Amino acid sequence: MNLQNTINGIPLEWYLIVAAALFSIGLYGVLARKNAVAMLMGVELMLNSVNLNLLAFWRYLAPESAAGLAFAAFVFVIAAAETAVGLALIIAVYRSLKSVDPETLTQLKL
Amino acid sequence: MTIQQLIFIALAILVIGSALFVVTTSNLFRGALMLIVAFFGIAGFYVLLDNGLFAVAQVMIYIGAISILIIFSVMLTRGMQAMIPRNAQAGSVAIAAGLLFLILLLAFGPFRLVVDLSGVPVLATLFRTESPRVLGGLPWSFANREVPETYIADFGRALVDLNQFLLPFLLVAFLVDAVLAGAIYIARQRKPAEVIAEREAIAKEEAEEIAALQPQAASPALPQSAVASTAEH
Repeated sequence: MNLQNTINGIPLEWYLIVAAALFSIGLYGVLARKNAVAMLMGVELMLNSVNLNLLAFWRYLAPESAAGLAFAAFVFVIAAAETAVGLALIIAVYRSLKSVDPETLTQLKL
Repeated sequence: MTIQQLIFIALAILVIGSALFVVTTSNLFRGALMLIVAFFGIAGFYVLLDNGLFAVAQVMIYIGAISILIIFSVMLTRGMQAMIPRNAQAGSVAIAAGLLFLILLLAFGPFRLVVDLSGVPVLATLFRTESPRVLGGLPWSFANREVPETYIADFGRALVDLNQFLLPFLLVAFLVDAVLAGAIYIARQRKPAEVIAEREAIAKEEAEEIAALQPQAASPALPQSAVASTAEH
């Protein structure tokens, strides 16, 4: 059985490695930043890496099924929704506290 | 080395490099612009994956909408000059993120032990592209399948098919509706009088709470001292 596992010479693992690196970078961005907008950028990078994984698996393992595309589309929509609400919250917080540093948001602390 | 491999490596360098710039720069505005570069690189990966629909959607949604939102909020929050780029935990977080990447690399990357289709353990390497791989009992070797030409139409039908994704599709539509209304409500510009009235109400409540917490300390002390001072004279 002649099983090819590359497409145009690119194995699936290359995509997985790029997506893993992107996810780790995004995780660092979320956890190590001092600015709420910068943290949201890290979340965007992580969501993009997940989408890259989903579409790579769709292409290599199940290109005739719509499931991979549907999940990726839901990730797209939910990423857009999350960004809209997150940025609205950040702007509302900035209006009242004049700061976007999450460490200053301690008003709910006892 | 095929031309697609070269394109892939160039895109990977572009995406990883700009993503690293995004999470390390102290100028948030430049970071937001480099985020657009990273999104473009991801769109390029989607083209390599024979998925023009999602490449276009990536450009429209991420670059056209989300990046603009992020750039606007960077400008509205005035956080782009002289920002402290990292918090106190940045060092340990960097180590944790690096460890996560190493673990993922050992799971999917070069030099991992896999079992091929005949059950023989082999050491897979990054550039050995011929050997069939196995992940969780499933062979990873369906690459000669083509994407059907009607994949966009199939995807559209699957979204409105009751037996496939109609329910999640409707739920997501409802979510987007709620998010639109919620984002506008949260970020709306309120009248100054309204804000002042709200702050005064909060301050009044806080004062009442503080007064309720220490009634014995405040009220009995005053009459006693008053009594003592009048008795002395």
